[in-house]
Amino acid sequence: MNKNNKMVGPMMNRRRFLSTTGVMAVGASAVVLGGGLFSPDSFAAQQIGKDANATLMKLARDIYPHDTLEDKYYSQVMSPMAKSAETDADLLKQLSEGVAQLDTLSVEKFGKKYTQIAKESDRVVVLKAMEPTAFFQSIKGALMMGIYNNPELWPRFGYGGSAWEKGGYINRGYNDIDWL
Amino acid sequence: MSTKFDLNDDSLVVIIGSGAGGGTLANELAQKGIKSVVLEAGKRFKMDDIENDEWKMFGKISWLDKRYVVGPARIAEDFPNLPAWIVKGVGGATMHWAGVAMRFQEHEFKMKSTNGVVPGANVLDWPISLKEMEPYYAKAEDKMGVTGTKATGMPHHSPSNHAKVVAEGAKRIGAKCEAANLAINTEVRDGRPACQVNGFCMQGCRIGAKWSTMYTEIPKAEATGNTEVRPQSMVLRIEHDKTGKVTGVLYADKDGNQHLQKARVVAVAGNSIESPRMLLNSASSMFPDGLANSSGQVGQNYMTHTTGGVYAEFEKPVHMYKSTVVPNIVHEWRDNDPSRGHLAGYELETLHLGLPFMSAFLNPGKGGWGRELADSLANYDKMAGFWVCGEDMPVESNNITLHPTEKDQYGLPVPVVYKTDHQNDYLMREHAYARAKELFDAVGAIKVNNLPPYPASHNMGTNRMSEHARDGVVNRWGQSHDIKNLFVSDGSQFTTSGTENPTLTIVALAIRQADYIADQMMKREI
Repeated sequence: MNKNNKMVGPMMNRRRFLSTTGVMAVGASAVVLGGGLFSPDSFAAQQIGKDANATLMKLARDIYPHDTLEDKYYSQVMSPMAKSAETDADLLKQLSEGVAQLDTLSVEKFGKKYTQIAKESDRVVVLKAMEPTAFFQSIKGALMMGIYNNPELWPRFGYGGSAWEKGGYINRGYNDIDWL
Repeated sequence: MSTKFDLNDDSLVVIIGSGAGGGTLANELAQKGIKSVVLEAGKRFKMDDIENDEWKMFGKISWLDKRYVVGPARIAEDFPNLPAWIVKGVGGATMHWAGVAMRFQEHEFKMKSTNGVVPGANVLDWPISLKEMEPYYAKAEDKMGVTGTKATGMPHHSPSNHAKVVAEGAKRIGAKCEAANLAINTEVRDGRPACQVNGFCMQGCRIGAKWSTMYTEIPKAEATGNTEVRPQSMVLRIEHDKTGKVTGVLYADKDGNQHLQKARVVAVAGNSIESPRMLLNSASSMFPDGLANSSGQVGQNYMTHTTGGVYAEFEKPVHMYKSTVVPNIVHEWRDNDPSRGHLAGYELETLHLGLPFMSAFLNPGKGGWGRELADSLANYDKMAGFWVCGEDMPVESNNITLHPTEKDQYGLPVPVVYKTDHQNDYLMREHAYARAKELFDAVGAIKVNNLPPYPASHNMGTNRMSEHARDGVVNRWGQSHDIKNLFVSDGSQFTTSGTENPTLTIVALAIRQADYIADQMMKREI
C-alpha cells in the first residue's frame, strides 16, 4: 500500500468525476463586479487585463445563457478560479492564453474580437472550436456547478433542494397538479 | 456490534461486501446461528451523514476508485473513469438504489429457450425458474417491505405530480402503467417510518423509509452476536490451499495494514466490477486465470441494462422532484415480443433528477453547453421524464479486465471496463425513446429530450450462473463450479439481466443461498 497514494478525500474524488464531464468543483461564494468575469480588483483580473476579463464574462454568459440571471451569478462562480490564479501560474497562463486564442479565432472567422461579434450564433461557432480546450472545459465546469448547484439560485429554477428537514413533500404539494 | 472474531478462526463464513447480496446473506446466516465476518471496503455512515444534496452525497458515498471505461460507446467518452454509479460504504448500493422491487418475468429466466441463439450475444438460460424463485421473492418482499405485494399488504405510494403526468400520457396512448412496487414504507413497518416524500431516494434515505442493508440487515445480523462487520477493509486476494479450497481472505484495513482472515466459506458480493476483479486478482499457480475461472467467464458478459433517459418539457409546472424518485412504471413493452424489432423487454421508469444532476446528464460530456441546454434547464420545474431500463444482451466481449500496468491506491491493478451496445440494445433504446416521446406528446410536451446512458447502477453478469461448468462461473446456488466453498452472492451471478431492477432478485437469491450454505455446512459438504 502506497501511503502517498491513499484514498483521496471526497472533494478530490468528486473532482475526478467532474473532470470527466468537464465540471470543476467550485463553491459559489464571493463579491464582485464591473462587467468582467473576475472581480476587477482581483489579481487575476489585473493580470489578464480589463478586456480579457470582459471577454470571459461574455464567454460565461454564452456557455450557459440565462438572460434573466444577473452578471453577479456568473462572476461569483469564477471567484475561486480568480483566487487560484493568484498562486497558480499555469492557471493564469491558461486563462490569458485561452482568451487570446478565443480572440484569434474570432478574428479569423468574423474579422473582429469575441466581444465585438454581435450575433450569439456567430460566437457559438467560435466557442464550438474552443470546446475541446482545457480552458473552455474548466470554465464550463465551474459554471455548471456554480449556477445549477447553487442553492441561492434553486428557487429561480423552481427546484426545492433539501426537503427532509421540512417534512418532505407529503404535506407540501406532491400531488397538487391541476392541469392534466 | 461488539462481536469480534479471531483472524485465525477458520469456522467462519467470510462475506465480501455488505450491500443487497452480502448484507442479506450475513443476516440470513446470522439468524440461523452461522457466524460470519463481513469485509466492507467502504466506511460506515450514520443517518446524520445522509443529506438531501446530489453532489455532496455523490462525493461522499460513491465508489470512486480509479477505473477505466473503454469501447466505442459514448459513455467511454463522457465518463472515462466512471463506468458504474455504486456505493462504497456499509450498505453498498442499497444506499443509492431507488427502491424499485419487481420480480423477474418467467421468460426472463430462459432467454435462450425463448429466442434461440442471438448472433453476437452469449445468451444462456438461468439454471433456475421463476417458480423456484417465487417463495424467495415473497420472503424478500416481506424482508424489504415492498409496497403493492401480498407479502406485506402495504399499499402503494399515492401518485405524485410526476406520476400523474406519466399515467395520463400512458392512458392517452393506451400503454400499461402502474404504481411502482417500492421497498419504501408507506406505513410504519419493521421499526422504520413511512415515506414523507423527500425526493432524494438515491442519495440515501435520510429517514430510513427505504430499505437499505445499512440500517436493516446489518444491525439485525450484528444484534445476534453472530456477525462482525469490518468497514474500510479492502480485499486484496482470496487464498486457497493445495486442494483448491479457499481458506481465507487477505485484506487491507484503513491504515493499509494487511490481515489474513481465515474462512470455512467465502462469499463474494462486491458488485459486478469488484467481484470478478477479486477472483482475477486471486490468480495463483494452481488457478493461473483467476479463481473459479475454468470456464473463462469470470469478468465476461458484463451487463448494465439498456438505458437512456427521456425528459419532456411542458408549458406548466410539474415539480417532478416532489415525489419518490420512481413513483410509477410504464411496462407496456416489458414482454419479449420480437415484432417490435428487438428481443426482450424494457420498462419506462418515471424517475426524477434534481437540477444539479439534470445539468450534468441532460447533455453530458464536453458538448453540454449553450442556449438549447440552458433553455431546457430553465424549464426544470416543468419537466417530467423516464429512465429507460431494458434487458441488456450478454456480450462476452463486454467485460472487466485488469489494467496491465496501472495500480490503484491498494496496489491492485485498476479495473478496465469494456462496454458497448449489442445491436439489440440499440434497437430497444430507439424504440423506448420513440414510445416515450409519443407518451409525452400526448400530454402536450413542448420538447422531448433524449439522454444518453449515464454510469450504471445496475451491474450484472460477470460471474454468471450456469447449468454447466463450461458456460459460467457459479451453479444454481451461486456456488462456484470449480471451488465448493466459494460463493458469489451479488448481481454478478445473473445469467441474463432481465428487464427489472436487480435488487429484489439479488436479495431473493441471497436468502435462497443462505439456506443452501446452512444445509451444506450441516452436511459437512463445505
